[in-house]
Amino acid sequence: MFPADSLRETALKHSFNRREFLRTAAGSASASALLGFSPLRAMQAPKRPKVVVVTFGGGARDEETFAPEGQENIPYLLRELIPRGTFYTQVVNHGILGHYVATASLATGVYETLNNFAAVAPTNPTVFEYFRRDARRPAHDAWVVAPSNGFNRIGGSSRSGYGPQFAAEVVLPKRLLAASLAKGGDPDFEHLLNDNYETPLFAPELPAGAVDPANTADLLRLSLADFKAHARNLTSPDELSVYIARRLMDQLAPSLLWITLHDIDIAHSGAFSLYLQGIQRTDRLCAEIWKAIESSPEYKGRTTLLILPDFGRDSDTDPAGNGFQHHRTGDALSRTTWLLALGPGVREGAVVDRPVDSLDLVPTLGKLLNFSPQFAQGKSLVELL
Amino acid sequence: MTPAQLSPNSFANYPPQARTFAVTQLPLLQSLPLIFAAILLREIHMYDSRFPAERDALQRQVSFLHKLSGPKRNEVFIDLRAIPYAPELEATDWVDDPGGFIEKLTASLWSTRNMDAFRAFATSYQRQVDSAEPAQLPGVARLGIVVYDPGGPMTLKPLFARLSRYGVIFTAIKETDGWPALLEYASLRARSGTPGFDTSFKHWYIDGGIADACKKLVPVSYGGIGDVRTKVLGVVQRGIGSGTMGPEGLRSALARMTPADVGLPDKGDESVLNHFKLSILTEGSGTQIFSTTFTQWAARECIRRAEPETLLVRFTPRQRAVGMDQMLTPGFASEPDVKGSLIDAQMGAYYTWLNLNRLSGSENSRFLVWQRGSSQALMTGPGLPKGTSSDSPLSVRQLLDL
Repeated sequence: MFPADSLRETALKHSFNRREFLRTAAGSASASALLGFSPLRAMQAPKRPKVVVVTFGGGARDEETFAPEGQENIPYLLRELIPRGTFYTQVVNHGILGHYVATASLATGVYETLNNFAAVAPTNPTVFEYFRRDARRPAHDAWVVAPSNGFNRIGGSSRSGYGPQFAAEVVLPKRLLAASLAKGGDPDFEHLLNDNYETPLFAPELPAGAVDPANTADLLRLSLADFKAHARNLTSPDELSVYIARRLMDQLAPSLLWITLHDIDIAHSGAFSLYLQGIQRTDRLCAEIWKAIESSPEYKGRTTLLILPDFGRDSDTDPAGNGFQHHRTGDALSRTTWLLALGPGVREGAVVDRPVDSLDLVPTLGKLLNFSPQFAQGKSLVELL
Repeated sequence: MTPAQLSPNSFANYPPQARTFAVTQLPLLQSLPLIFAAILLREIHMYDSRFPAERDALQRQVSFLHKLSGPKRNEVFIDLRAIPYAPELEATDWVDDPGGFIEKLTASLWSTRNMDAFRAFATSYQRQVDSAEPAQLPGVARLGIVVYDPGGPMTLKPLFARLSRYGVIFTAIKETDGWPALLEYASLRARSGTPGFDTSFKHWYIDGGIADACKKLVPVSYGGIGDVRTKVLGVVQRGIGSGTMGPEGLRSALARMTPADVGLPDKGDESVLNHFKLSILTEGSGTQIFSTTFTQWAARECIRRAEPETLLVRFTPRQRAVGMDQMLTPGFASEPDVKGSLIDAQMGAYYTWLNLNRLSGSENSRFLVWQRGSSQALMTGPGLPKGTSSDSPLSVRQLLDL
């Protein structure tokens, strides 16, 4: 059997499992509503749409999420978010399974091959550049909230005709926090500064001036002292990221906001309990982001929220891996994940089983935000348009 | 250099036994595709520090390849030869540094989207080797024992989670501390060796804390190699401090470490064991900071590499997660996270069971999981009905006679 066939077969199997798991979670009374196509909530899309994309750096497997034994870890997704949106059960990532390169691929719509451990720009234009160039949007209308130093170049590509003048603003919340701390750090905040979980040298040092925390703080009308005081009550780097994302929504209301969460990747440390905590926290934070959208006059009723892990994690049964800990085998589970879309014009309670590609995200965003991603591969997700 | 250009001098830098093995197999090595020759040389290069089971596995591979006719051998490698690789790989020092070659090859396979094709080849190849040259059955039915030792009354409900469907849950274990009996039982299965442990490397004891005295079992413990962990973390810290060493550089620096570098003897059977101990820290992820990860990974690597007949594993509480920089500081330790460690141990037990079931003779293997001080235990094995429970009052020692 060819590997591609094997991959499709396994992905399909898990797609059906996710559908079945959703049925289990929803209960028989609401199964038909969940699995059928409900009427459109709004017949017309708003005139000036906004999009918030949430990706997980470090996927979560079905065993710990949609399977019966895992559903206790994702109550917000199951009870609050999935019933209100369209859920794709089978999103396959055919690229390199490293978080930076995979996120860059999601943002460009092309499987990038850049060094996962280097702070380099994507080779192909990003969604932010397409959006800002085609729609003639100012710099502050596209933002990325990124988890680590390594992501500081994600906002713009090295492609001729694109690049920095059309790039998104990138905010690295941990850099902001570090800037607010006295030189030498503060042990009270160490847990919020975890830059990566795959290797201690994963995140390259940024060149001087690459990111200006003071400037970002000014834009957000956030004093570093206040930020530090708020951070004291947070338990993880992703909570820090969501706090900054909410601040961005309040102060600048960008039309395109991309938030990359990373807590789940603590799985690389091999501690299963910490991986579960990461899933539970991510589940809660996704609900908080949706709540922020729904409670913001700038976003409510005009924002599409797209949530997707960048890829999966290794299965327990592949002898080349070590189960949940990594995403190194390239097996079907490590490549297959899901996508949830919510917002005006998005059908509620719909489940789409057909296989889609991670690269389909950018063309879909192009349709939603009216730009032409000419170098992007993949196809628009027609169910969302 | 291509495989056809290999000569006996090519292996001048190899350790003695590895050099002898490579020279003996020179005609075979010369006939192999470059990628496969490098992969095989990686195994040969480490021959001197390999366990007997690994040497047997290498010999089985070589026997398999020798028995293939020329056309048949071409057929075996046809899919591998179809996978493109960067020409500059040939210019790398793949003979003296096959590990470095494989790292570059892996990056190339991912970036050219050929990893799936390579996986398919590897799976097919291993299936053919196992079919033509099956692994030896164990001398006695394998036994795995995993003990959660939280050091207090805390427990989980359910206690065995994923394993419960594969065995019998005993709900009336009548003694609160069967640990010494388990240790003794495991020891009796081992033969004595000259350094004080089983030199066939078939009977193991892996502990997340300080290992209890046990002369016959091969001992590996998190607490027993604290100094080694400190030295490995020192290398990590120097890498971070350098500001220039990337992940690849750190991996190379860790891979170059030898037992002698961390103060461990590097001769004889102890050398083989010490290479193993060091590899758990230099190749594992999280093994340097969390005892539960160390224990699970050491058990996994022991099973994969040594193919044990007896494996006794004890999980003890790991430190609570704090900032990664703090945890990577040599000598740092936060307070224990007992509940989290139990969850880790539960998954670790499941993975240990899964890995034991990958070995030959698994249909006769037995597996026991028990939380120290608990009245519940789980046992899998021939004759034990799956997904059932029993309230028979038994000691954990008596479970091993079922």
